[in-house]
Parts: sequence; C-alpha cells; structure tokens
Amino acid sequence: MIEVHHLTKRYGRVTAVDDVSFRVERGEILGFLGPNGAGKTTTMRILTGYMPATDGRATVAGYDIFDKPIDAKKRIGYLPETPPLYPDMTVREYLDFVARLKGVPSKEKKERVTSVMARTHVADMADRHCGKLSKGYRQRVGLAQAIIHNPEVLILDEPTAGLDPKQIIETRELIRGLGGDHTIVLSTHILPEVAQTCQRVVIINKGRVVAVDTPDNLTARLKGAETMYVQVDSGGADAAPVLSALPGVVRVAPSEQRGTLAGYEVESERGRDVRRELARSIVNRGWGLLELRPMRMSLEEVFLQVTTEEIPEETPTDPGAQGSMDPRTEGEVPVA
Amino acid sequence: MRNVLTLADKELRSYFSSPIAYVIIGLFALLFGYFYYAYLYIFIRSSAEMMQGGGRAPNINQQMIASVLQNSAVIILFVMPMITMRTYSEEKRSGTIELLLTSPVTDVQIILGKFFGAMGLYVAMLAVTVLYIAILFWFGNPEWRPIAAGYLGLLLMGGCFISVGLLISSLTKNQIVAGILTFTVFLMLWIINWIGESSGPTTREILNYLSITEHFNDFARGVIDTKHLIYYLSFITFGLFLTAKSVDSERWRG
Repeated sequence: MIEVHHLTKRYGRVTAVDDVSFRVERGEILGFLGPNGAGKTTTMRILTGYMPATDGRATVAGYDIFDKPIDAKKRIGYLPETPPLYPDMTVREYLDFVARLKGVPSKEKKERVTSVMARTHVADMADRHCGKLSKGYRQRVGLAQAIIHNPEVLILDEPTAGLDPKQIIETRELIRGLGGDHTIVLSTHILPEVAQTCQRVVIINKGRVVAVDTPDNLTARLKGAETMYVQVDSGGADAAPVLSALPGVVRVAPSEQRGTLAGYEVESERGRDVRRELARSIVNRGWGLLELRPMRMSLEEVFLQVTTEEIPEETPTDPGAQGSMDPRTEGEVPVA
Repeated sequence: MRNVLTLADKELRSYFSSPIAYVIIGLFALLFGYFYYAYLYIFIRSSAEMMQGGGRAPNINQQMIASVLQNSAVIILFVMPMITMRTYSEEKRSGTIELLLTSPVTDVQIILGKFFGAMGLYVAMLAVTVLYIAILFWFGNPEWRPIAAGYLGLLLMGGCFISVGLLISSLTKNQIVAGILTFTVFLMLWIINWIGESSGPTTREILNYLSITEHFNDFARGVIDTKHLIYYLSFITFGLFLTAKSVDSERWRG
C-alpha cells in the first residue's frame, strides 16, 4: 500500500532523512518510532506530498506521490503534528470545508461529517469554534478531518499527543478499529503505544532506519536468552542451587532478599520454556511460589539500545546486554 | 473550478467570521464618504457659480465622480494590505497550510481560491460605495457608462494589489511583517512616477508605465483603454505566477 524507496531529504547541509526504505501492507498499522528530530515528521510530510524529497521515491496506494500527487492525495488522510484547524470555524463548518476540499461528493457530505463526528467523539462540540476547543478535542477534530473522505491510507503524526489517559485509550481503540479497512502509519515517541496499536515498527534515528520488525520480535531479538523472574518464600533456604539444577536453566542470579522472601533471575536456554519445571520444583519442596514472570526487555530498552548504538542485523550475543536488564514498569514514559 | 470555489468560499467566510471584514468595509466606506462629501460640496459650489455666470452646468462625471474614484484608489492602497497580509502567513503560522498542501488540490487552485476570496471582500467594499453613487442618480443625471468604467478600473487595480499582497504574504510567517512590506510596495508602486518629473522623457515614460495608479486615471475618466487593461491583467497574472513560485520553493525548503 505504501512503498518507500531510498528516500532522502536534505535541508541545505542537514540531512533530515537518509536513505529510508520500508513497505506497509494493506490494512497494516505501522508504528514510526524515534526520538524527537529523528526525521519522523519529515518522512510523513514527504509521504503526504507536503514537501518533495531530495532523492528517492514513494508510492502511496499505487500512485507515485511526486508524479501523481493529486491521485495519491485523494487516498491519504493526514493528521499533522499540530491539528490544522481554523480557529474562526465551528467544528461542523470546518469538517464540511475539509470534506469539500478532499472531494467528498456533496450528497454524502452531510452524512460523512455527522458520522466522523460521532466516531471521534466530537459531536457535542459540533457548533463550538475550533479556536475554543481543548487540546484533546483539537486532536480529535484533527483525526476526524483525516478520516472524513474515507482514505485508504492514514498518516498520523503523534495522534495521542496532548490527550488525557482516557482519551488516549479511546484514540488507540479508534485507530485499531480503523486498521484493517485503512492502512495506517502513525508516529510516536511513546513506546507502549506502539506495542499496543501497531503490528510492525520502524525505528528511525538521525534520519536512518535502524530496525524494522514486529514489537514482539524486536524485544525478542535484542535479548539473547529467556529470563524469568522468580520470587520464592523458601523459609530462609537458598533456592539458587535447586533452580540451577533444573534442566534447561543456564544461570541463576539472586536479585533481592527480604526476610524469607528471595527473588532470582533465572536464565534459560533460548527458546525453552522452563516455567513449568520451575514452578513444580519450588512447590514440591513446600516453598511458596509468589511470583513467576518472564523478564522481557521492554520496548523502552530496545529503543534506547537501537537508538544509542547501531545494532547489527544479527542478534547480539553479548551476555552483558541481559545483565543490564531490570524489570521496569511499563508506563507512559516518553523517551528522549 | 470546484476546488477554487471551495477555497474562495472559505477565505471569504474567514474574513466575515472575524472583525476584519467589517472593520475594513466600515473604514473604507467612511473615507470614501468623506471624499464624496468634499467633492460634492466643491461641485455644487462651482456649478452654482457657473450657472450664475450664465455658463453651462459642469459635467458631474468629470468634475466630481472621477476625482472621488481617483482618491478612493489611494484609500484602497492603504486598506488592501489589511486584506492580504494574513492570507498565507496566517496559514503558515497556524499550520493549516499543511492541510491545504496535502489535499487533492493544486497550488494554483489554492492561490486562485485566495485571490478570489480577497476579491470577494474587495467587491463587497466597492458595493457599499455604489450606494453613494446611486444617490447622485436620484438627484441628478450622471452618465452611468463612465462610472462603470471607473469601477472596472478599481476592480482591476485592486486585483493587482491583491496579487502583490498574496506574493508578499507567501514569503513570511508573520502577518505584521507581511502587512508592512505590502504597504511599502504598494506605496512605491503609487509614487514611483513622481521622480519621473525631473528625469528624461524615456525614464519618465517607463516610470509612468510602472505606476499602478497612473493606469487608473483613464478608467476614472471613463475611458477603457486596452493598454491599461493589458497592463492590469498581465500584472495580476505575473503576481499570481510569482506567488505560485514562492509557494513551490517554500515546499522545497520545507
């Protein structure tokens, strides 16, 4: 649906986007991840025909954005970083104008405006001036504007920026609901958002693509072996020898101790799930098994790792990479 | 064409949904009214004197309306930057230009939309002054044809100002800067032939030809000369062409 070939954009001497290539399949939701200033917005602006690239090609919905901009633009809905609202227009007037601008037939226009307002939950503000809307509403009117002509491709630049947690969840659900019918590219620097909404992730840093994969694979790829966190109430006994004796366990590292409670990081052979054995042996000894969970490298760490150092295409086998892992709560932690 | 209308309609609405349109129309009507009153007063006095002297009554078209229209050209020069200064700069500042440039419309359609939107407001401005002129028909019998020619001239001259205004507005994000620059350029285009008085005949011809208001004088007198028509139309086209180039180069620079 979207094909990007060796896209490069230079502003004078600064190279904002450097030889970027990727594909997005029909109905897919692609996350575009990168620190601020990585070239996300520039790439999106090129894809939407807002600005031409210095070099390379981009095809959207089968139309080259440089050779056939009008045909391509008809099939693109775009939400820029700042929602492009006219403060003097009411929400209804605004959406009506955008519908006309995007070529929605006048017969369907009224119905489209009503349905997108309902879909983006802005119907209660229909007759309010855009300039008087709160940030959350502005963002959602921006989204309404992007989907008004029912485009095949949606390009959303930080669609959840500035929303409160409830609105963020609603917006993500809306985006997930739009996937399937629409091909979506969304940019963000909030990592859990990618894990929750996207099927595939492109990580971009300093204008270059540093990784393309599914969120799950990305986390798995950067982690050599599987690591479990186990918390045991062993009544004071050291559980480490018992755990390391289990088949498939490579290494056991005690991580914390509180009274009779002890936590361990248990590393197993790659691709081998040792949770059943772990649980059985602990319970059989009469100890209390209080916690058992896989310690995945969160996307945040993946992200930091790929954006601070160029990862090779192969899986890194450096065991030190795992030693630096710590179970971190997945929150809305904006990186960079 | 549909796209141009959509955009022109939006421009016109945005003028009228903010105080801008009302302030501009009010201001223009006030100043026009002042000149109208002043010249009517002079006309009535001079015609009374001439009638007493046994001469023919003076021609109201030549003695009064032409002068009023010529003076209104100067008011337009002052008012027009207020109409055009925000056209592009405001869209750039607020980011709505991203909506326009990523919609399935061409740059030329956007520019024409803005041009006709501004022309719409300008026509509304002139429409108010038609009422003043209509009063003359009530009490006297002026010729309507020279007046129509005068208004055609005003429209064309305004079109030139708008095309320059659009160009300047497309160069900056700051509408105050756009306004001041536009005003300066308009003023230059008005007074450019003043220095021609002291220079050689060729220079004087060239400078006279460049002055926007100079070309209006014949229209004000009721003469439609193709020379002036071509000047105005090519001026407008050139202004809009440069605006298109400016918008395009803005794209490349990002």
